[in-house]
Amino acid sequence: MTQRQRLALEHQILHNEGFSQFGVYHYPAYDTYNASGTATTNSGRGYQLFCTIPAGYPTERPPLYITDPNPLLTFNGAAISRLGVSHAMHTLEPHSAGWVQICHWRADRWHAGIVLQRVFLKAMLWLEAYEQHCSTGRDLAEFVRTMQEAA
Amino acid sequence: MSNGDQRSMIREAMQAIAQRKPGKSKLVYDKTKRTIVAVSEGISTPQALNITADDADMFGVVTLSSGWLREKWPDLTKAGSFPVDFSSWDDGDALTQLELCIQGSGTHAPATLVFGHQQVQPAMGMVISIVPTDKSTRRPDVFVSPDNIAYRAELTESGEATVGRREVVFADIEPQLDLRRAGILETTILKDRTVLCIGLGTGGAHVAVELAKSGVGHFLLVDRDRLSVGNVVRHPGGISQVGRTKVNVTRDLILEKNPRAKVDVHAADVSFDNRDMIAGLVQQADLVVCGTDNRQSKLLINELCVSANKPAVYGGAFRRAYGGQILRVRPKHSPCQQCFVSALPEEASDVEVSSQDDADAIAYSDRPVAVEPGLSLDVLPIATQLAKLALLELLADKSSTLNVLKRDFDAPWYLWLNRPEPGTQYADMPPLSESRDEMTINRWYGIYFDRDEQCPVCGDFLSGFAAAYGLDPSKLPALPEKD
Repeated sequence: MTQRQRLALEHQILHNEGFSQFGVYHYPAYDTYNASGTATTNSGRGYQLFCTIPAGYPTERPPLYITDPNPLLTFNGAAISRLGVSHAMHTLEPHSAGWVQICHWRADRWHAGIVLQRVFLKAMLWLEAYEQHCSTGRDLAEFVRTMQEAA
Repeated sequence: MSNGDQRSMIREAMQAIAQRKPGKSKLVYDKTKRTIVAVSEGISTPQALNITADDADMFGVVTLSSGWLREKWPDLTKAGSFPVDFSSWDDGDALTQLELCIQGSGTHAPATLVFGHQQVQPAMGMVISIVPTDKSTRRPDVFVSPDNIAYRAELTESGEATVGRREVVFADIEPQLDLRRAGILETTILKDRTVLCIGLGTGGAHVAVELAKSGVGHFLLVDRDRLSVGNVVRHPGGISQVGRTKVNVTRDLILEKNPRAKVDVHAADVSFDNRDMIAGLVQQADLVVCGTDNRQSKLLINELCVSANKPAVYGGAFRRAYGGQILRVRPKHSPCQQCFVSALPEEASDVEVSSQDDADAIAYSDRPVAVEPGLSLDVLPIATQLAKLALLELLADKSSTLNVLKRDFDAPWYLWLNRPEPGTQYADMPPLSESRDEMTINRWYGIYFDRDEQCPVCGDFLSGFAAAYGLDPSKLPALPEKD
């Protein structure tokens, strides 16, 4: 199975399973792939999600960034990206453009059986928890079970 | 009898009791031979000399390489003499030719090798004269030249014959090593086998050295780390190797055991950035031995091995080495590492945290994970079993005494427990002495589980995944494109 075949299937599943706000796209100029779309939370706010598909995908974990709003701010008004890797906020190394990287699966838990649909699902959970953080000032980690994955 | 012959006989008699040879426990004066000989304790000899075995063990040893001498033989016979250097050990008690040394003592002893009884004036050091002999060619102090003539060596130090103080022996490395393996291992096959060893920590380095002892001829070593002081209590490398890369330390350990082995080293990380390099090494290998501790590297290696259809064995200790496990993967025929992770996620995640790098890999940087390495003696059973399974793979379908183990080691997954670790499912195991059927410590368990036919790495993931969502994989539209 080639990476392209797998991504084509993943794109179709996103659309068939109610995640049509997200899609997988090919960039012919660079022959690279990205998965992206707009996530809308229960409060109605929109967030742009951008998942770069590494050459090693699906064995290699794909990083998922929030590209808009940028900067994404904490309850105290600080940029989350400045926290870097944070357990309290469930974030990993930010992108060089300042985009926050959501910790959907840690690298030591990732494997090729996990599909992008589940990655976007976790991102949506993260966003709901983020909005709770913005309302209360409590750590985002308090609103999401540690994102350990059983499989 | 000449003085030289008599000295030689006395030396042999003393060596016989020094080596505790059966029936040689004391020295007596033999009136017929007019020299000292070794006899057994029971023989009545009022003239027995009061020399014990420990007293008799007084000979230094000078070791020359037979292979090197055969190679240089035309030069020696033509030139008459040339210099040879030795590494001096234990205040000169043992002198080992530098060509034999992977790591020298740091103290050199120069010598001149002379063909026959020529008089030479050495610049410095000993003179070793190679002279014909009628002694048995099977003796270690006899060298057989390329023209099939037996020679022995006479040693002169500072102008004096030292035949009584040092013995010159000839080491014919490869035949002597093969002799010890023959009959159990198919040495000819192993010499031609290439093993890629990825991860050279305590377990990985131990496996590599065991395979070298068994006669594997070609190694590809990959590890990015250097040996640290803290490693020394576990790693085969010692304190004098601290600071060196583990690939180079392990290369030298391999060559100490198998000097003819070809060892290629790659001080590199096993990461997706090095994917092409690792893939190239996998292609060269007959077997991959994975001793890395983190899931990403194991899954990367797994993907590359399955893609290249190369067998692989993965070994690792559980946290603080309370036990360990081995997965053997025969692509398309047995479960792969991805099948293992999917089928047994908790078992696949239970790893020893033996270094800060490993801790960082499984932690957020603001919430550190403690480094909790296990003891060497708890890691070595796993490494030893890993080496044995590796040998079985290398000798697969070939005649070998180890073939009888194939039915014993038929399972894909092997589990070993060093102790009933609190907080684990093994905490309440019965004591070893009381259990007959239940799981206990210090036993290997071969465990069967099925290969995932729809594994994303070794199976038909696409069809299975598509079917689960009611899609036809042959009718998927092309991905939308963006600039």
